[in-house]
Amino acid sequence: MATITLKNISKVFESTGKKKSEENTRTLAVSDFNLEIKDKEFVVLVGPSGCGKSTTLRMIAGLEEISSGELYIDDVLVNDIEPKDRDIAMVFQNYALYPHMTVYDNIAYPLKLHKVPKAEIQERVMEAARILDIEQYLKRKPKALSGGQRQRVAIGRAIVRNPKVLLMDEPLSNLDAKLRNQMRAEIIALRSKINTTFVYVTHDQTEAMTLGDRIVIMKDGFIQQAASPQDAFDHPANIFVAGFIGAPSMNFFPGKLLRQGDVYCVQVEDLIVQLPEEKCARLAGKDVQPQDITVGVRPSHINVDTGVENELTGTINVSEMMGTEVHLHVKSSGNDVVIIVPVIGSYASYEKYLRQDEVVKFSFTGEACHVFDSEGKNLEF
Amino acid sequence: MVRRQSKLSKVLLSIVLILFGIYAAFPIIWMLICSFKQNDYIFYWPPKIIDESFSFNTYIKVLTDPVKLRFFLNSYIVSGVVVVLTLIIGIMAAYAFSRYNFKFKKPINSLIVGVQAIPQIVLLIPYMGIIVAMKLFNTYWALILTYLVMTLPYCILMMTGYFNTLSKELDDSVRIDGGSRFRALWGVLVPISTPALVSVGLYTFMTAWNEYLFALVLTQTTNMRTIPIGINLLITEHNYDWSMMMSMSVLGSLPILILFLFFQKYFISGMSSGAIKE
Ligand SMILES: Nc1ncnc2c1ncn2[C@@H]1O[C@H](COP(=O)(O)OP(=O)(O)OP(=O)(O)O)[C@@H](O)[C@H]1O
Ligand SMILES: [Mg+2]
Repeated sequence: MATITLKNISKVFESTGKKKSEENTRTLAVSDFNLEIKDKEFVVLVGPSGCGKSTTLRMIAGLEEISSGELYIDDVLVNDIEPKDRDIAMVFQNYALYPHMTVYDNIAYPLKLHKVPKAEIQERVMEAARILDIEQYLKRKPKALSGGQRQRVAIGRAIVRNPKVLLMDEPLSNLDAKLRNQMRAEIIALRSKINTTFVYVTHDQTEAMTLGDRIVIMKDGFIQQAASPQDAFDHPANIFVAGFIGAPSMNFFPGKLLRQGDVYCVQVEDLIVQLPEEKCARLAGKDVQPQDITVGVRPSHINVDTGVENELTGTINVSEMMGTEVHLHVKSSGNDVVIIVPVIGSYASYEKYLRQDEVVKFSFTGEACHVFDSEGKNLEF
Repeated sequence: MVRRQSKLSKVLLSIVLILFGIYAAFPIIWMLICSFKQNDYIFYWPPKIIDESFSFNTYIKVLTDPVKLRFFLNSYIVSGVVVVLTLIIGIMAAYAFSRYNFKFKKPINSLIVGVQAIPQIVLLIPYMGIIVAMKLFNTYWALILTYLVMTLPYCILMMTGYFNTLSKELDDSVRIDGGSRFRALWGVLVPISTPALVSVGLYTFMTAWNEYLFALVLTQTTNMRTIPIGINLLITEHNYDWSMMMSMSVLGSLPILILFLFFQKYFISGMSSGAIKE
C-alpha cells in the first residue's frame, strides 16, 4: 500500500584508517540510484556480491544513513525518519529471530512495540501462523526449529503488522536447494495473500526472474537495468546484464556489424546473418554505423549442424547430459561456447554430442543476436 | 586411533586430584572448624575436629552485636550498589563500543585496558586526595566510586566481546519492529547475555565484597567499615580473637558461596559462551 521513490540516492562508507599512515578509505557502495517503485509492486534487486543491494535495502529501511539523494515513501520524504516510524518490515538473511523468546512472542513482538491490544495480538499472530503453517511451533524457541521453519517465523514477524513495505534481504540463501525452491513458491503464494509493496534482494538470477514484477540489475553500486524479467532477458541493456541474466550465461563472440541502407548484418568469423527487421529499424533509427561489435547469443539459441553456409566449428570439451537437453562446452577459435542441444528422437541422433573432442558445427540466426558496442552497451538502446 | 586410559593412570590421576583438592580446601575446612571452638582450644595439640568447646557461641555473638552487623550491612550496600552500577554503566558502554563508531574509540579502549594494568596501590594516595577533595571521605560513595574503577573495565571489555558475538541484525530487527536502540539493548541483547552478565556480576560482587586496602584508607569510623576491615579490627594489641575472626569469615564468605551455587550453571556457560554462536 505504498510507493517508494529513490531519487539520486548515493551511499558512501567512510572508514578512517587505523594508523596515521593508512589512507582514509571511501567506498562508494551505491551511486546515483533512481527508481520508482509502484504500489504493490514486487521489485527484486539483483547483482553480484558487493554491488550494493543490501545497502540500498537498508537505506530504504532507515538502517543506513543516506549520503545524498532523496527517499520518498508514499510521497513523504523519509531521509531523516527513524526505521520504526517508516511502517516497513524486513526479513533478514540470518533471520535475526530473538533467541530468548518463543515463536509466538517473536511474531507478537512488533505488535507489542506498537501497543496493540492483547486480544488483537493473539488473533493476528494466529492468522500469520496459519498463513505460514507454523501453528504447531508457536511455543518453541527458535533454537528448536529447522532453517526453513525459522525462515517462516521471520516472515511471520514481518507480515504480522501489515506493513506498507516488506523488505527481504536474501531470505532464502541459507536454505538448501530443495527448500529454497519450495519457499520461493511460498513467497509467490504469500504475495497474493498480503497486499504489500515488496523489495527483495538476491544474488540469484533465477529467484529474481521468477519472483519479480520488475528486476533491478546492479553492479558496483550502479543500476545496470531496471526492467521486467522478460524484458531484461530479451533486451539486456549491456553485456553485464546479458551475461548475468539467464542460465547458462549468454555466449559472446567478437564480430562486425555490417550495414547496407537500413539493413544490418552481423558477421562472426565467416558466418554472416541478417538481423530481423525490428532490430534493423531500431539501429537505423539511431543511425548506428558499421563497427566492431560483440555479438551475444544465448546457449539455447545456437543451432548445431544445420548445414548453413560458413558455419562456425568447435570441439566438444565437456558435455553434460541434463535429461531433456545436453549442455555442450565447446572450444571454438579461442572462445568457450556453451550450446544447449535438445534431446529429441533416438539415442543415435544425439549420441555424437556426448563424445569428447568431437567436432561440431554450429550457427545462429539474426533473431538470436544481441549486438553490443566496444564499451559493452547494447546498440539497440 | 583411540587410546584407552589405563586403570593405573586413572587411579594415579585421581589421587593427585584428591590431594590437590584437600590442599585447596584445607584453609576453608580449618576456618569452619575453628569457628566452632573457643579461642583457647584452637592451638591444642593434637588438633581435634570437634572438641568439648564446640558451640555456636561466636556466631551468636557476631549476629547479635550491632557493631558487627553494621559491617555486614555496609558490605552489602557497597557491593550491591557497585554491582548494579557496574552492570548498568558497563552494559551501555559496551553497547557503544560494540555498535557505534565514534572518534577516539581506539584510544579510549586502550585506556580502559590500561587502567586494569595499573597496580591499585599506586592509585591509593591520589584517590585519597580526590575523595577528600570531593568531601566523600568516610562515606559509601568513597568506596563505591573507587570500586567502580576496579570493576568497570572488566565489565566493559567482557560485555563488548559478548555483544560483538551477537548479530547486529538483532538490533536492526528491533528498530524495524518499532523499538529504539535502547529497547534493542535492554529488551533483546541484555536478556540474551545472561550468562556473561552473571559471571561479570559475580566477579564484580567478589571484588567489592573482598576489597580491603581502599576500604581501610577511605573510611575512618567503625560504623562505616566493611567486613574485611571488621575482621581485622578483631586483632588488637593484646588479643587475637581467632574463633570470632573465623566465624565472621565464614559469615563473610557465605554470600559469595550462595551466589556461586545459585548461578553456577550460568557461570560455567558464561565462561564458555562466545565459543559457539547461537
Ligand atoms: N559498514 C560498512 N562499512 C564500509 N563499507 C561497507 C559497509 N557495508 C557495506 N560496505 C561496502 O559497500 C559495498 C556494498 O555492500 P552491500 O552489503 O550492499 O553488498 P551486497 O550487494 O548486499 O552484497 P552481498 O550479495 O554480498 O550481500 C561493498 O563494497 C561493501 O564492502
Ligand atoms: Mg547483502
